[in-house]
Amino acid sequence: MATPGNAIDPIHQFEVNKIVPIKIFGVDASFTNSSLFMVIILGIVALVMVYGTRKRSVVPDRLQSAAEMAYEFVANTVRSTAGDHGMKFFPLVFSLFMFVIVANVLGLVPYTFTVTSQIAVTFALAALVIGTVIVYGIYKHGLHWFKLFVPSGVSPILLPFLVLIEVISFVSRPISLSIRLFANMLAGHITLKVFAGFVVMLVGAGAWAPLSILPVAAIVGLTAFELLVAVLQAYVFAILTCVYLNDAIHPGH
Amino acid sequence: MNGENGKRDADEKALKARLENLSGALDARRRQDEAQKAQEKASIPGGETGKAMSLGFRVLSEFVAGVIAGGVIGWLLDKWFDTSPLFLLVVGALGTAAGFMNVYRIAAKPTSPGSGGPEIGKQ
Repeated sequence: MATPGNAIDPIHQFEVNKIVPIKIFGVDASFTNSSLFMVIILGIVALVMVYGTRKRSVVPDRLQSAAEMAYEFVANTVRSTAGDHGMKFFPLVFSLFMFVIVANVLGLVPYTFTVTSQIAVTFALAALVIGTVIVYGIYKHGLHWFKLFVPSGVSPILLPFLVLIEVISFVSRPISLSIRLFANMLAGHITLKVFAGFVVMLVGAGAWAPLSILPVAAIVGLTAFELLVAVLQAYVFAILTCVYLNDAIHPGH
Repeated sequence: MNGENGKRDADEKALKARLENLSGALDARRRQDEAQKAQEKASIPGGETGKAMSLGFRVLSEFVAGVIAGGVIGWLLDKWFDTSPLFLLVVGALGTAAGFMNVYRIAAKPTSPGSGGPEIGKQ
């Protein structure tokens, strides 16, 4: 993969390039292609939500029904997972869901950059969720919130171990939340690129060229599958956010 | 004699009415639950395969995350206290246990307080 030019490099799509180099007090805060796509994602979300809900007609047009469906879907998820108190966090969950789903789906368009395939981005989102859980939990319940780590009805000999395990289990939440999204997107895009590489290799292999139809068929199937994964992972991210927020709202069970 | 009989009749009637009322409410509740379940099923794209796959991936990542969290915490403690590899082993083992606990939690109980977790715990 080291040969430049015509080399097939499935990792190349994940490279972050600086568009406008910016340095603030020695910290690299450059505007990269990743930042550019985040801005595009925000633009798309804002367009769908603001422009779509502008007319407020009783019989919605396509954009309005898309906006309404997104709202209802997330609102139902929040209500059924975190209860009615969870609706306090609806703006957070909805923003996360829309950002992730648009980032995932936009990433499937050729020549785009998949923001959610960067663990820095997904971990920042997960850290935001867990930070909200901790801050709101302590703000609302004070030290009682830490009862979350103390399982009830356990013999006192086992209790210290279980508390330690619970703490580690809590620490593992942002890790699993971010790794799941990042790994799904990364693996899917690499698979697509590798299969696309097979097509190029087979076409260039003389007598084997007719076989190149096989990886093309595989790519068609995989693209549909990736679309499913993209939507599903956004949904899973949103629902797990609700589950974790539920711990902040009602700790101790 | 006759009055007592009438009273009993009235009692029985009231009881029957209450019972009917209750079972009617129960039926309504059940229908509502079923409708909600059906809606949830319909609203998840890809249906069963996608749901099963996301559950599988969730189990995997929860387990791996537990092991990673334990390993990293142990390694950092070792670095601070210069006790390598004591904490890495102990906390790493606890982290593995935490991973199993995460998986157990997914399998054992529905995640939601109300309708039993839209995406899991239906088997």
